[in-house]
Amino acid sequence: MRTTRLLALAAAAALTVGLGATGTAVASGSPSPAPAAAEPVVFTVGMLGDIDSANPFTGIAAESYEIFQLEYPTLTEYASSDFSIVPGLAESWEESADKTTWTYKIRSGVTWSDGTPLTAKDVEYTFNRVLNGEYEQTNYGSYVENIAKVEATDDTTVVFTVSKPSPIMEKLYVYILPQHIWKDIDEKAVTSYKNEGTPKEPTVGGGAFVMVERKVGQYIRMQANDNYYGGRPAVDEIVYRIYKNEDALGQALKAGEIDFAEGLNANVAKSLEGVEGITTVSAVYSGFDEIAFNVGAALDDGTAIGDGNPLLEDVKLRQALQWAVDRQALVDKVLGGGGSAGSTVIPPIYADLHLEPANAFGYDPEKAKALLDDAGYAEGPDGVRVDSEGNELRFRLFSRSDSPTSQKSSEFVKSYFEAVGVAIDLKVVSEDALIEIVGQGNFDMFEWGWVVEPDPNYQLSTFTCANRSYKDGEDIYANLSDSFYCDEEYDSLFEKQSVETDSAARAEIVKQMQQKLYDDSPYLVTFYYDNYEAYRSDRFTGFVPQPDPDGALLFQYGTWSYESIKPVVKAEQGETGAPAASESGVNWPVIIGIGALVVVAGLVGALLARGRNKDIDSDDRE
Amino acid sequence: MSVLPDIATVPVREHPRTGTWSSPTLRYVVGRVLSAFGTLVFVVLFNFFLFRVMPGDPISLYTRGRAMDQDQLRALRSQLNAPLGQQLLEYLTNPFAGGVDSIRFNEPVWEVISPRVPATLLLVGTATVIATLVGVWLGIRSGWNRGGRFDKVSTSTTLVLYSMPEFWFGMIILIVFSVQLGWFPVGGLSTPGTDLGTPAGWLDVAWHLVLPVTTLAVIYFAEYSLIMRASILEERSQEYVQTARAKGLMDSVVRRRHAVPNALLPTMTLVFLNLGFVIGGAITIEYVFSIDGLGSLTVVALQGPDVPLLQALFLLFSAAVIVANLVADLLYGWFDPRVRT
Amino acid sequence: MSAPVVPPADAAGAPDPARRSPRAITRARRRASAARFWAQFRRNRSGMTGLAVLAVFALAAVFAPVFFDRSSLDVTQATGLPFEPPSWEFPLGTDDVGRSVLALVVWGARISLVVGLAATVISMVIGTTIGIASGHYRGWFGGALDRLTDWFLVIPFLPLAIVLATVLGRSLLNIIIVIGVTSWPGTARLIRAQTLTVESRPYLERSRALGASNTHQMTRHVLPNVMPLVLANTTLAVSISILSETTLSFLGLGDPTTVSWGSILEQAFSSGAISQGAWWYLGAPGVCVVLVVLAFNLMGRAIEDILDPREA
Repeated sequence: MRTTRLLALAAAAALTVGLGATGTAVASGSPSPAPAAAEPVVFTVGMLGDIDSANPFTGIAAESYEIFQLEYPTLTEYASSDFSIVPGLAESWEESADKTTWTYKIRSGVTWSDGTPLTAKDVEYTFNRVLNGEYEQTNYGSYVENIAKVEATDDTTVVFTVSKPSPIMEKLYVYILPQHIWKDIDEKAVTSYKNEGTPKEPTVGGGAFVMVERKVGQYIRMQANDNYYGGRPAVDEIVYRIYKNEDALGQALKAGEIDFAEGLNANVAKSLEGVEGITTVSAVYSGFDEIAFNVGAALDDGTAIGDGNPLLEDVKLRQALQWAVDRQALVDKVLGGGGSAGSTVIPPIYADLHLEPANAFGYDPEKAKALLDDAGYAEGPDGVRVDSEGNELRFRLFSRSDSPTSQKSSEFVKSYFEAVGVAIDLKVVSEDALIEIVGQGNFDMFEWGWVVEPDPNYQLSTFTCANRSYKDGEDIYANLSDSFYCDEEYDSLFEKQSVETDSAARAEIVKQMQQKLYDDSPYLVTFYYDNYEAYRSDRFTGFVPQPDPDGALLFQYGTWSYESIKPVVKAEQGETGAPAASESGVNWPVIIGIGALVVVAGLVGALLARGRNKDIDSDDRE
Repeated sequence: MSVLPDIATVPVREHPRTGTWSSPTLRYVVGRVLSAFGTLVFVVLFNFFLFRVMPGDPISLYTRGRAMDQDQLRALRSQLNAPLGQQLLEYLTNPFAGGVDSIRFNEPVWEVISPRVPATLLLVGTATVIATLVGVWLGIRSGWNRGGRFDKVSTSTTLVLYSMPEFWFGMIILIVFSVQLGWFPVGGLSTPGTDLGTPAGWLDVAWHLVLPVTTLAVIYFAEYSLIMRASILEERSQEYVQTARAKGLMDSVVRRRHAVPNALLPTMTLVFLNLGFVIGGAITIEYVFSIDGLGSLTVVALQGPDVPLLQALFLLFSAAVIVANLVADLLYGWFDPRVRT
Repeated sequence: MSAPVVPPADAAGAPDPARRSPRAITRARRRASAARFWAQFRRNRSGMTGLAVLAVFALAAVFAPVFFDRSSLDVTQATGLPFEPPSWEFPLGTDDVGRSVLALVVWGARISLVVGLAATVISMVIGTTIGIASGHYRGWFGGALDRLTDWFLVIPFLPLAIVLATVLGRSLLNIIIVIGVTSWPGTARLIRAQTLTVESRPYLERSRALGASNTHQMTRHVLPNVMPLVLANTTLAVSISILSETTLSFLGLGDPTTVSWGSILEQAFSSGAISQGAWWYLGAPGVCVVLVVLAFNLMGRAIEDILDPREA
């Protein structure tokens, strides 16, 4: 019931914001909400991680990107409804008939937050900075790979000359920076430039909000940009507050310290369900987790590396293992129901691109056993299967100490594999250490995941031969590939999709590639996980999910919700800050349970300690 | 938990001697300072070698998950491949990780550590003060009326508290008072945006501190009260106290004027000596209560592991405890001239 | 009780007590004092309560497989729903994947007790050896050992343990080693003081004068005399070791593949038991730790009272 109400609300909101962002006709002159006159409307978001940097050339954390997209415009944006491409700072764009240039038309009359005009010159400056800067390419290099030249032909026109056709050209997610500020930060200074605003000197941006304060590890404050081309948001200020764990986050929402909790886990989200004034959202998300197999670690030139068990190079073995895992149980037990069983590497959230394989691997341990028997892996004396030469099917499975989810699902997978006669040695290491281990090919299996961008290029590139580890001097460095999958046919499909600018035709190729990966099984995709969010629906309304209707409300590709949320106006809303949760939130059985626990412990302790007084005194007499 | 070893570390009282002030005192002070310095040197060396014997390529330990260009890598390599003596020398000139950045934060370790010092100081300091006050008060009351009802109840309670893991106790009071009753905030040290320079800001911090400080204080006042009780008992049996009472002085006067001041000394010394354990407690408490201090930072550092950061934190904790021990020794010498032999 | 009583069983071998070998006399004396000790301990109510509590936990740990099949720890075979409150089927509720918390706690007792005991043995061996040696050797060697003890005594325990555990990696053996090698200095200090007292006794002077080797003096004369103190200290040290194991596992430094009370607490904390109000999940392992630690503390103090080595 709660969800249906939310859906209706969200759908309505999506409609309005869609108009607001794309249509320039919407009046943006007097956006300030009625109650804001006296007291600013502050929207407080609790999240689990801090930004790693406020400099868009340095920061890579998801939290950082959330700040960047609030501060800086991009040429185009991903629609909230379905990730289709919609105008951003650019009103329109066009690929030339000969596929050599792209022409972007920039909105006219736009200004930066400090009043300086925002023109095509700024766009030209930003792209040239990325093209010419080594450091600047770290985050945005993939967007400019095929760009040969950028030129602002007038204040509202930018022409990109490309070396070869590329679908990425209409998804240039490079944050447009104000030339008059960034020209003073040279290529050396940029590496340590913090770009943190202060109350006196907010950052200069062209997005909906600019940064006015940051306290490392504690909070970030953003202020509405009066000059935003999409219209000044109804919220005057956003505060991002950083919490150390999900529990604290959930409780802060309950207590009313924050209005929105981002990145909860299933259990905390469940504990918030039914709390007066709070709405929880299990949002479909673009992430998946997988068990990756070492299908034959090698460098990009084909030289074998690492100490992976060669038995895993057998595709039949990997396919058999696919049948051994109850993915739905993982979703239910590990994710608390917040997700869906996994299949291919492009999650279903991208409906146009995701392939639902016709030959899906279900959960069928008997079939897994039969397949293993057929492939020549007979059961050994101690229940562990062996190949024809007597080598045991015993593999190392690495899970990540940083993630309870990873450890839990690894434990499940170990148990499932062992049930079909494949022995697993579970190892827990930190993510940092695992990067190293995987890069060197020193593993058999590991548990990790990816968050997939709306453009599939990056995700698909993680399976190309060229992206296997490489050698520089004596050292081996990890690249994107972590299963060391290498297949000629796949590589040629990859090349084909990377130059296909017709989205329907490209989607077809992308689906073929997913099918190939599914059959060859370098990955066992365990699940697509939901992102749990919760907010004070008694205080704010108008959130826009992406995609519609069950997607994320914040941390989207875009700033849809921030631009459309409004404070709930209630007649009797006297005290805004006072947490009203405690009265309804008290769980008496828990209090009584703990009370009983304390009494038991106290009684036993007192009993144990009763004879002690005498003994202590005798100690003391010495 | 730590009563026995701790008592053992309290300087042994040697035969009282009424000597001249200056030279033994000076010798005592210089001796103590030198010994503290020696300990510090040991810790620095220990720290240096411990991380050098870690399995695996030291380079990978220091660069894990970090984008480094070839120049940086070469510089680091030459630094780590230098002869051990030279490395040691460099380390000694800059013991806080020898100038290597924190892996996780990508900043010099000192810049990661320093903003987090106040939070931990505030937590540990407040908890220590409260634990001392409550512990001393309890110890006096139960020691002076030994075997009474109060003594019985307080001694049994302290023994139970004493057997608890701090963080568990913290989680239990968190679940009751924050999660279920909603009386206190669930974590952090302040509500963001509050101006910490105003009385309202202080109040906000105090509000956030209630539960974590209570947790730490409860665990440690138990220990302090046991010690205080023991020393009150000892003083009580001393001749001068008996004499004072025989002279007809009021019980409370004898207690306040004579017994308590003398009995305080061992307790106060223990308070300082115990700092190492309180810091240990702060690590888990900060983690449970999401306080962004050195304790939480340690938990973050051990997950990587962020070796440079961990190394620096370990050094900092040890140095703090060494200094606190020195202070304890000097205080003891100051108040009890008998040890300055 | 003041005159040594010679048990008749011993007398059978040698009719004349005066002519028995010194070794036999010693053995008899030891046995007698053990009997005396037990008689006294039995009268100490708190010590006996501690022993009883401990016996219950020890039995639970030993017979864990009888009460709960190993499969009750298997996440894929969990029979309950996540976070079920206590019921007849699950007396202590279920954890975040639906396993019985009671089964976890009973199995966890094995690891917690084993780690506690094994770490204490390491700590006692190191502590006693260094303590006796530093008390016995008067020269630079004893001084150096004494210094070393001082240094380790000052280094804060938990940070040191964290650093060591990080260096060594996560495994059962490593956590035992870490706790063992970080907790010896207190013991060493205590043993050293006792050694100094023993060394000043006339019979040691005599033995020295007769030309007994250092090893002989330390093992034959000092060690037996400090043994009671070691015993009392051991009992107290076990409680510290168990608390340390709990703390280190809670911080994620324990063996990830085994279940101990500390790792259950870690699991509970990281899976949101606090928000869920799952007091049974957090409470059960914690109460076990408190009870066992308290039991060891009480027993240690009772032993201390009986032996009262400080009177010696």
